Amino acid sequence: MSSESPPPAASGDNQDELILAQKEAIAQDIASNASLVGNLEPVYSLEREFSHDAVFMTKIGNLKGRYAELRRTRPDGNCFFRAVAYRYFELLLHRPDEYERIKALLPRAKAQMIELGMPTFTLEDFYDNFMDHVDRVGQAHMDAQQLFETFNEPGQSDYLVVFLRLLTSMQLQRNAEFYQNFMEGDKTVAEFCATEVEPMYNESDHIHITALTEATGISLRVIYLDRGSQTEASLHDFPDQGESAATTPLVHLLYRPGHYDVIYPVKSTSESGPATSNATVTTTAELSS
Amino acid sequence: MSNIAQQRIQREFREVVKSDEVAKSGIELALAHDDLTELVGTIKGPPDTPYEGGTYQLEIRIPDTYPFNPPKVRFVTKIWHPNISSVTGAICLDILKDQWAAAMTLRTVLLSLQALLAAPEPDDPQDAVVARQFSADYKTFFKTAQHWASVFAGAPHEHPDFDRLLTKLKDMGVDESSARVALSSCGWDIHRATEQLFN
Repeated sequence: MSSESPPPAASGDNQDELILAQKEAIAQDIASNASLVGNLEPVYSLEREFSHDAVFMTKIGNLKGRYAELRRTRPDGNCFFRAVAYRYFELLLHRPDEYERIKALLPRAKAQMIELGMPTFTLEDFYDNFMDHVDRVGQAHMDAQQLFETFNEPGQSDYLVVFLRLLTSMQLQRNAEFYQNFMEGDKTVAEFCATEVEPMYNESDHIHITALTEATGISLRVIYLDRGSQTEASLHDFPDQGESAATTPLVHLLYRPGHYDVIYPVKSTSESGPATSNATVTTTAELSS
Repeated sequence: MSNIAQQRIQREFREVVKSDEVAKSGIELALAHDDLTELVGTIKGPPDTPYEGGTYQLEIRIPDTYPFNPPKVRFVTKIWHPNISSVTGAICLDILKDQWAAAMTLRTVLLSLQALLAAPEPDDPQDAVVARQFSADYKTFFKTAQHWASVFAGAPHEHPDFDRLLTKLKDMGVDESSARVALSSCGWDIHRATEQLFN
């Protein structure tokens, strides 16, 4: 900075505090309007929001054949991580094979995180908490209703989100050479993790999804409901299986610009959590079976 | 205060209080009340900086949503630094804002603040006047920061030339604090400082 450079803008000390206060007000407003994780709703409930939009209506219409239900998450920037975590824990209620797999994988991941220099003091805490929930769900000490309540308790819900953010950061940093190709400007992968991955409330992009699915081995399908001109919502599988999609991914998410919700394929609704009065008769019947 | 915030602070408090490594780097943490929502941080000015020899007190307020949101931290001890307001003690540091992560701790914050004292970032200022001086006239900045360190933070520097200028302004009926701010802002040019004070 030379002596000729213009004086820095806005010397007001309150500037930052005002911005912070405004952000908090917006966050509170969102929080009072949307649960962290919502009840099940039929997919056609989306039609109410997009009834004036022909492109979206066509795509939602085509979605209904494949997907039965939807579970909204709060649009607070953590929606991707929260949606994946919720749906995955829900699956663990019924999938002893997945439980065994993730239980073996996580300790290795933790060792890799420590190796990277993540602060053990706090990392242990988030890891223990996550593992504890994996165990409780996997060993049937927690049912679908309790899981739903846990995810709607802000502190606890965010604790689980933090661990997934750390896992994502670990995967990116361990493969920094590869992921460097996707960085904008001269940002390093470590800087990207410090600004876009580890801090809460930062939205997730393709790169976060790739890293998290790689780190956890959780397969995921994202249905993109966007303004593209096709009549079908486009989809993307993580990891990318190419044309020969041999297996159906575990977790399905619905993406609308800037936001992810959980979406349930027609066949797998029997594993879904607490039903609502809106839920279809089939779901209720299957749940009680 | 939420349970999660409370448990975290209790653990962190023990971490900082017990750690030898932390004690050596000259950071301390104490409770302001019994309820853990407010703490008092102390950092020593790092060596080879104008803050060397000074001790700085920080007000730390823990939000209900801690550790998902950062602690609110402010310098209580007055300081002359581009990224800290010389008026309110407000701090411009990325990890206290959008780059806070839940894996960080109060220890991280105190060490980062110490690092900020050693390496100011004038391109991202909190106090525009100080930042401009830092970039345009580093020598004056250094001496002024030293002066503030001895007046407010107990550093052992003496600047008789500054004291003479302060006395001059005081003789004109200006209180010491306003005189110091005016002189510091004007690079210790008494004519400009007087103009600033009386216009």
